[in-house]
Amino acid sequence: MESFAQRRRRDLIVAFVLAALAACAPFVIKDVYVQNIMVLTLMYAALSQAWNILGGYCGQISLGHALYFGLGAYTTTLLFTKFGVLPWFGMLGGGTISALIAMALGYPTFRLRGHYFVIATIVIAEIGLLLFHNWDWAGAALGIDIPVRGDSWLRFQFTRSKLPFFYFALVFCCVAWLITWWLEDSKWGYWWRAVKDNPDAAESLGVVVFNSKMGAAAVSAFLTAIGGAFYAQFVSYIDPESVMSFQFSLLMALPAVLGGIGTLWGPVLGAVILIPLTELTRSFIGGSGRGVDLILYGTVIVLISLARPEGLIGLFSRKRKEVSR
Amino acid sequence: MTTATIIQSLASGLLMGLLYGLIAVGLALIFGLMDVTNFAHGEFLMLAMYISFFLFAFFAIDPLLAAPLVAAAMFVFGAVIYLVVVRFAMRAKTNIGMVQIFTTFGLAILMRGLAQYFFTPDYRSITQSWLGGKTISLGGVFLPVPQLVGALVSIAAFGALYFFIKKTDFGRALEATREDAGAVALVGIDKNKVFALGWGLGGALVGLAGAIMAMFFYIYPDVGASFALIAYVTVALGGFGSVFGAFAGGIIVGLVEASTALLLPPSLKSVGIYAVYLLVVFIRPRGLFGSI
Amino acid sequence: MTINRRNVVLGGAAVAALLPLAARAQTSEVVIGVIYPLSGASAQIGVDAQKAFATAAELINEKHDFDLPLARGEGLPGLGGAKVRLVFADHQADPQKGRAEAERLITQEKVCAIVGTYQSSVAVTVSQICERYSIPFISADNSSPSLHRRGLKFYFRAAPHDEMFSTAMFDFFDAQKKKGQKIETLALFHEDTIFGTDSSNAQLKLAADRGYKVVADIKYRANSPSLTAEVQQLKAADADVLMPSSYTTDGILLIKTMGELGYKAKNIVAQDAGFSEKALYDAVGDKIPGVISRGSFSLDLAAKRPMVGKINDMYKAKSGKDFNDYSSRQFMGLIVMADAINRAKSTDGDKIREALVATDMPGEQTIMPWARVKFDEMGQNNFADPVLLQYNGGKFVTIAPPQAAVAEAIWPMP
Repeated sequence: MESFAQRRRRDLIVAFVLAALAACAPFVIKDVYVQNIMVLTLMYAALSQAWNILGGYCGQISLGHALYFGLGAYTTTLLFTKFGVLPWFGMLGGGTISALIAMALGYPTFRLRGHYFVIATIVIAEIGLLLFHNWDWAGAALGIDIPVRGDSWLRFQFTRSKLPFFYFALVFCCVAWLITWWLEDSKWGYWWRAVKDNPDAAESLGVVVFNSKMGAAAVSAFLTAIGGAFYAQFVSYIDPESVMSFQFSLLMALPAVLGGIGTLWGPVLGAVILIPLTELTRSFIGGSGRGVDLILYGTVIVLISLARPEGLIGLFSRKRKEVSR
Repeated sequence: MTTATIIQSLASGLLMGLLYGLIAVGLALIFGLMDVTNFAHGEFLMLAMYISFFLFAFFAIDPLLAAPLVAAAMFVFGAVIYLVVVRFAMRAKTNIGMVQIFTTFGLAILMRGLAQYFFTPDYRSITQSWLGGKTISLGGVFLPVPQLVGALVSIAAFGALYFFIKKTDFGRALEATREDAGAVALVGIDKNKVFALGWGLGGALVGLAGAIMAMFFYIYPDVGASFALIAYVTVALGGFGSVFGAFAGGIIVGLVEASTALLLPPSLKSVGIYAVYLLVVFIRPRGLFGSI
Repeated sequence: MTINRRNVVLGGAAVAALLPLAARAQTSEVVIGVIYPLSGASAQIGVDAQKAFATAAELINEKHDFDLPLARGEGLPGLGGAKVRLVFADHQADPQKGRAEAERLITQEKVCAIVGTYQSSVAVTVSQICERYSIPFISADNSSPSLHRRGLKFYFRAAPHDEMFSTAMFDFFDAQKKKGQKIETLALFHEDTIFGTDSSNAQLKLAADRGYKVVADIKYRANSPSLTAEVQQLKAADADVLMPSSYTTDGILLIKTMGELGYKAKNIVAQDAGFSEKALYDAVGDKIPGVISRGSFSLDLAAKRPMVGKINDMYKAKSGKDFNDYSSRQFMGLIVMADAINRAKSTDGDKIREALVATDMPGEQTIMPWARVKFDEMGQNNFADPVLLQYNGGKFVTIAPPQAAVAEAIWPMP
C-alpha cells in the first residue's frame, strides 16, 4: 500500500506532467475551434475544481454557483466599461465581492441539510439573476458589449488568437488544482474527512468545522468569480442569461460528479470528457434541428451516473489498487 | 390598488397555488418514500401534457375525460422509469444524493431531446375543450373554470392520497418502507415493488396535473422548465416527505406569487416566492411540516 | 390545431434534400453559414428557419422564372454557376456558443458569409467574430436597434429594426386619430429580454414624442407559469391600445389569461414575435379577431407580385406553414447575401462586403413590401418599410402604411 505522502507526491508529479503536455498542445493543435473547446474544457475543469472544494470535500452541494460566476463577470465588465478599471483588477474585485457574499450566505444556509440546502442555493442564484435582469445601470436584459480594441494583455483582449486565453485558463486550472491539493492535506481537509467518516465527530468539531466551511465557501466563490471574469473577457459580451443562468451552476457541478465528487482528479477528468462531448454533439449533430444532440448528451449523463456512481475516477483507482496489491 | 384587485389576486393565487400543489405532490411522495428528488419532474409534466394533447388531437378525447387515462399512462411511465433507471442509481454506495440528482437531470435532458425529436419543437395547445376558456364571475372576481376544476382535483387528490397512505395496506407498506427499508425486507415486502409503485403513483399525480394544465397552457418540449423550480420550492417549503406539506406549500407559493406581483414589478414576482422559502428554512430548517 | 405529421416527415425530407446537393456540388460551390437555435426553448424558430433558407437556396441553385435576384439561372453566374451550399449550426440561444459556432464555420467549414441568428444577444457575439475574420454577416431577423450602431464594418441588416417597426405603429395611431378615433392611452406589455426591452424603450420614446400617455408599462419574466397578476394590471389600466412584445408562449398565455379574467382589450397592436406565429393563432386566434401586428412580410403582396405566392407555396411544401415575419426575413437574408457574393464574383470577405455596400435591389425584386434594399454606412437598410397586418377571418390583411395597404383597418377591434 502506498502511503498518503507518497500518493500526494505522485499526484503532484502527474499534475506537472499533464500541465506541461497541455501547455505544448497548441503547438500541435492549431485549429481555433478545437482550441476554443480546450479553453472551455480547462475553464470548466477549474470551475468544477472550485465547486468541488465546497460541494465535494465539504459536502455542501451547491447548485447556485452561477451567482458567483455572474458576479465575477459583471464586476469586471462594469468596472471596465463604466470606470475604465483594467480587467485584472476587476477580476480580483469580483473575486473578493463573491467571497464576501458567499460567507454572508453561508452563515444562514450551512445549517440547512441535503435538499433544503441545494434548493436554497438554487433560489439565491435565481434571485441574483432576476435582479440583474432588472438592473438598468448594469445593462439589464440588454447585457454589456465589451468594446474590443485590438490585442492587449493589459486589457486582456485578443481578437483572433485563442492562445492567451488558453494559457490563462491553463494557469487558472493549475491554481485551482493546487489549492485543492493543498487543502487535502490541511487541517481543514482532515476535519472534513473526519466529519464525512463519522457524523458524531461533527458534533464535537461543530464550530471549527463551520468556520472551515465558511473558508471553503469563500475560496470556492473567489475562484468561480475569477472564472466568470475570464469568461466575460473571452466572450466579450455578457447578459444575465449567459453568465448567471442555472445551466452554469449545473455545468460547474457536473464534471466533478461525473469524474468523481470529492476527489482531486474527478473534476479534471469529468471536464475533459463532458465539455468536448457537449460541444461536439452540438456542432456536428445539433445542426439537424431534431434534438439528437440533447438525446445523446442526456443518455451519456444517465449512463455514466448509473454505471460509475462513484465517478469515472473509479476506473483508475481500481486499477491502482490492484497494482499496489 | 382597489379591494377588488386584491381579492382577485388572492383568488387567482389560491387557484394557481392548488395547482402548484398538485404538480408538486408527486415529487413530495417520491422524496418521502426514498429520499430521491426527481429532477426530471418538469419533464414528467411535459410528457403528461403531450399525452393529453395527443389524446385530444387523434381521438378527440376531452382533457377532462382523458385525465384518468393520462394518469394511468403516467403511472406506468413512472414505474418503468424507476425500474429501468432510478433503481440502478440507488445502488451507489457513496454520494447517493448527487448520483440521483444527475441521473434524473440526465433523464430530463434526454426526455426533452426525445420530445423535440418525436413531437417537433412546435407549440401546441388544445383549442376546443369543454372547460377551456370558460370563466365564472362572482361579484367582479373572475375564476377560470379549468383552474377551478384543477383546484378541486387537487383537493380531491390530496384527500385521496391521505386516505390511501393512512388506511390501505399498500399505503401502510409505503409508509413502513419509508421509515425503515431494511426492516421491511425482513417481513417480506419487496422494496423494489413498493418503490416502483411509489414512482407510479408520483407519475399518476403529475399526470392529473398535466391533463388539467393542457386545458389552458401551451405545450412544447421545454414547458416543464417553467414549473420545475416552483415544484421543488413548493415541496421544500412544505417540508420534504410531507404530503400535506406539498399541499400547504403550493397554496403559500400561489398566494405569495400573487401578492408579490401587487407590490413589486411583475418581472420580480418569483423573488417573493424565493425569499419566503429562504425565510422559512432559516427559521425552520426542515420546512413547515418536514419530518426528516 | 391539427397535429401535422407531415411536418415531421417533411422536416426530415428538407434536411435530406440538402445532402445530395452537398455531394454533387463539390467542384464549385459557395458555402454560407447559417446560425440558429436548433435545440432548446426556441428550437421551433430555428427549425422553421432551416426550411426558409433551404427554400432560398433552392431558388438560387435551380432555375425558376421569378423576378428575384439569382432565381432565373442555376447557381451564381458571377462565380461560373457555383451552387450555394448552406451549413447550419446550432447556438442554443447562448452567445458563447454562437461565437464558437461562427468561428468553427469560418475556420473549418470555410464559409464566406454568415446569416443569423434570431436572438439578438447571439447576433452581438456572432457579428463580433465575423468582424474579426472579415466575413460579412447579415442579421436576417434580429430587430434590436443597438446592433447596427456598434461601428462594425461587416454587419448588415436588410430588414427593419424595432424603432422602425414602432414608428410604423405610431404613424398608424396618428392617422387613426386624424380620422377622429380616440387613442390617448397605451399599455406596454413586454418580456424581460433584449427584444422586450428594446421594443418598449422605442415605444416609450415615441409615445412621449407624440403625446400618448403610457398608463401601464409591464415587464414580465419570459415563459412565466402564470400571467394573472400582469393581466390584472393591464385590465385595471384598460388602455386604448394594448401593445404586447411577447413570444409565442407568453402571447398564448396572455390572450388566454385575458379571457379568463374577463378583460377584453380595446385594441391590440403587437410587436410581431409571437403574434406572427401560426401556433398562436391556432391556439387563441378566435379570441382576438382584429388584432394588429407589425410585420415585414405580407401575403397580400401575392396579388400584386405573383411570385410571392409561388415562393410561399415552395416554403409551405417544406414546412407546412405560410411565410411569416421571421421566415420571410430569413429568406431575404440569404437572397441579399447570395446576390452580393454573385456581384463580388469572389468568396473573399472584403470583396463581398464591397458588393454588399453597393447593393441596390429594387423592392419589386424581393418578396417584401420594401422600397428597396440599400444599406447605409452602418449597414442598416432604411428602405425596409414595415407593414401593419390585421388578423381577420383567419388571415392577415395589410392595413398600413397606405402605399402597401389593401384594406382599411377595422378600428376599434371588433
